[in-house]
Amino acid sequence: MLVKLAWNGMKSKRKDYIILLTGLVMSIAIFYMFQTLALNKDFTSDNAMISSMQLVFHVGSFLLAVITFFYLLYTNTFLLSLRQREYGMFLLLGAKKSHLKRLMFLENLLIGTAALVVGIAAGTVLSGITAGMVMGQLGEDLEGYHSFYLPSLVVTLLFFLLLFVVTAVWNHIKLSKVQVLELVHADTTSDRMPSRPKVNIVMMAAGIISLTGGWLSLIFMEQLREKGILSAAILTTLGTYLLFSSLLPVLLKAVKEKGAWKEKGIRAFTLSQLTFRVQNLKKFLATAAMLIALGAGAISGGMAFKNNAPVFAEQAGFYDAVVHNAGPEEEEILDDITFTDAQQYRYKKAGDYTFYLKEDLENQPPKMRTSSGGVKILDNGLPEDRESLADVKAARDPGSEWTRFLQSSFARDYSKKPLIVNRSLYESIDAEEEVVFAGKSDDFMAYHDEFAALDQIKEQKMEAAEGEHYYSQSKYGMYESYQTLATGTVFMGFFLGTAFLAMMASCLMFKVLSGAAGDVPRYRMLQNIGVSRDLLKRSVAAELFIIFLIPAVLGLAHVLIGMNMFSFILLEPYYRIWVSLLVFIVLYFLYYGLTVKMYQGMVLPQRK
Amino acid sequence: MTSPVVEVNNVNKVYGGRAEASYQALDNVSFSIQEGEFVGVMGASGSGKTTLLQAIAALDRVSSGQITIAGTNVTDMKEKELTDFRARRLGFIFQDFNLLENMTVYENIALPLFLQNQKGKSVRESVYRAAEMLGMEDTLSKYPAMISGGQKQRAAAARALVHHPSMILADEPTGALDSGNAKGLLETLQHLNETYDVTTMMVTHDAFSASYCERILFLEDGRLYKEMQRTGSREEFFKQILDEQAEAGKNKL
Ligand SMILES: Nc1ncnc2c1ncn2[C@@H]1O[C@H](COP(=O)(O)OP(=O)(O)OP(=O)(O)O)[C@@H](O)[C@H]1O
Ligand SMILES: [Mg+2]
Repeated sequence: MLVKLAWNGMKSKRKDYIILLTGLVMSIAIFYMFQTLALNKDFTSDNAMISSMQLVFHVGSFLLAVITFFYLLYTNTFLLSLRQREYGMFLLLGAKKSHLKRLMFLENLLIGTAALVVGIAAGTVLSGITAGMVMGQLGEDLEGYHSFYLPSLVVTLLFFLLLFVVTAVWNHIKLSKVQVLELVHADTTSDRMPSRPKVNIVMMAAGIISLTGGWLSLIFMEQLREKGILSAAILTTLGTYLLFSSLLPVLLKAVKEKGAWKEKGIRAFTLSQLTFRVQNLKKFLATAAMLIALGAGAISGGMAFKNNAPVFAEQAGFYDAVVHNAGPEEEEILDDITFTDAQQYRYKKAGDYTFYLKEDLENQPPKMRTSSGGVKILDNGLPEDRESLADVKAARDPGSEWTRFLQSSFARDYSKKPLIVNRSLYESIDAEEEVVFAGKSDDFMAYHDEFAALDQIKEQKMEAAEGEHYYSQSKYGMYESYQTLATGTVFMGFFLGTAFLAMMASCLMFKVLSGAAGDVPRYRMLQNIGVSRDLLKRSVAAELFIIFLIPAVLGLAHVLIGMNMFSFILLEPYYRIWVSLLVFIVLYFLYYGLTVKMYQGMVLPQRK
Repeated sequence: MTSPVVEVNNVNKVYGGRAEASYQALDNVSFSIQEGEFVGVMGASGSGKTTLLQAIAALDRVSSGQITIAGTNVTDMKEKELTDFRARRLGFIFQDFNLLENMTVYENIALPLFLQNQKGKSVRESVYRAAEMLGMEDTLSKYPAMISGGQKQRAAAARALVHHPSMILADEPTGALDSGNAKGLLETLQHLNETYDVTTMMVTHDAFSASYCERILFLEDGRLYKEMQRTGSREEFFKQILDEQAEAGKNKL
């Protein structure tokens, strides 16, 4: 009988249960997706550019597990709140507590199983789609990646089963302790701010210390290495939670007590909405901040790798284009490019040597990239004039700057050693005169296609000319091979990022929707006493704006500081970071808009 | 000569429809209220009193018929105008209080003033005056969850009065009050009605409360079946109402 009543109760709250299930399915799907990468060692080690990628994934897994745990506790509270009134009624009417506990356990089991099945299925489909999307975007294959991966499935199943057991025990304890009347009046009791200033101050201090420690670990990642990753992950998370728990209520209370400002229109109500639920909100916002940090950080990281390609290529050499004996086809392409530096050097090949004409190098000093990344003009240190070619060969200094420069920047064939000779000796060499063009464009990335075309012609020429296989790699070539290598890393970053952002999205959605049901009477009442829909809509928008803003600010602070983490792998971890931040902000804003619309739809139904 | 401020013409309200069983809550109801009148509505539980009041406040659309307030037809007013009308002209005391439990009693009462963008001292004074009239001064800083049902009802009444509406619609405003507090509230309503000419319409099923009215409309199964005008003293009117209720009870037997 009781089972039937409970089942009817569940059916009558179908909408809430759908929200609950959606939230669980999302979290399971995301966890599974993440595991398909984290556990697939072959794929991650083959495709990552960082040897510690595996560690990054392990730390990521750990964090995701912690967050999922909180998330589940949170959904569980929601489940309990859905049922407590009804359970209270049952108890009041004489049902046994043990019976109710069994009922609750059954309910948890039912929901958990359903969520697991659907969640893993959804995870498989979603990871397939993400992989397909990334492959399509980057035009590269992701070999060795499986969207259905048995070890991941097992780990996901075990992890969530464990969590479900923990929450079931939690519910059991909660139900044992609770008084009947508390359950019946659950709707009217409201969690008020605990006034334990001493505890609060300790928490605040601990929060600040943890956060500082976490941020310092991120800043000094280069020195701390693996230890730093661990301490950063733990301390930053801890600090965020502590700070949100202790600081947010105090802050909101302070704003609320500033009399005059809030006495305008519906502000008092909006503020009350915020203050009232601050107790639940603070943990949730801390979670959101962490997820934002991880999500945006991962995407930023991935993009930084990708972004790193031009920087990396730039590092490789000064000249964007080096063309030997440009034909009409190449001339035409070169004409389309605006060069800020363009020089031609004549040379002759004979035997094992390449002889460069000294006066060309003297009159138009070439530029080279130094190991520290700067530009150096080679305007001195040219070898002295010699009497004969034999003298020149004898005086060859393989370690000199000029030799290294010519070898690395202009060489067509590494087996031929570069030498610099004056005009009279040069003319005495019996070989055809050749010429190398070296140019630096005003914007390397702007002429992407032109450089690609030049490279292609070069390939053809090389195939045609036998015995020349050591043509030094062009800047474009460097760029391309880096890109290929970066693809896997970008994919992982993107995957990590979307996993965390999606997790946050479902968290936020869940929070908002689970709160909406309780808000409906409030908004109806306000409409009844003559608050316009527009004003209420604005109130919702403002309330949610703050909810979205707070974690975003701290989350982005985490990212900005956290990118230091990559300083020992990337040339410039902050390179064009604004692009990824912009992507995140646009996404986030869209999500904010969507949440506002949904929330408004729920609390302000259109009147017939 | 006073003019009718509320005119209700052939109003019908049917709840439900096609799918569910429909229920006629108001059946061809017509009457009018003069400016500054204090009108009561009586009837058994489920007779349609709340429905009628909500229709007048345009909180709910009627199925057919017209309701005119101060010359404006509220049945086809735009949502925006309605909202404004409610906010400025109307004070509504709800049967189920409708307090916002996430705001203090003070903030609840002050809300209509905040909405009109009044600020500072004038708000404080109006709130204290309204609270004082209803003996609520001590509970202002509490949250609704921390006060009694009767205190909630008085807070709801204070909120309906605080912005000096030209019309008050009260749904069982004394339902949760003891006789002393009920008397206080009724006298407040009467005082506002007499001094400021606030048109008042009050639903009640209690003869004592009803005796404060000048005229009483009786509802039964959604139909308006009788009207009583007060001619003599309140005590006499009280007896008349009791007699009427006894009569109605007898007819049921
Ligand atoms: N939203 C609704 N949907 C369907 N029926 C409704 C709805 N609201 C009220 N009713 C029905 O309309 C009838 C009149 O309801 P109303 O609330 O007006 O009664 P009332 O006279 O105020 O009663 P009470 O004295 O108990 O408050 C009742 O039979 C009720 O069941
Ligand atoms: Mg009623």
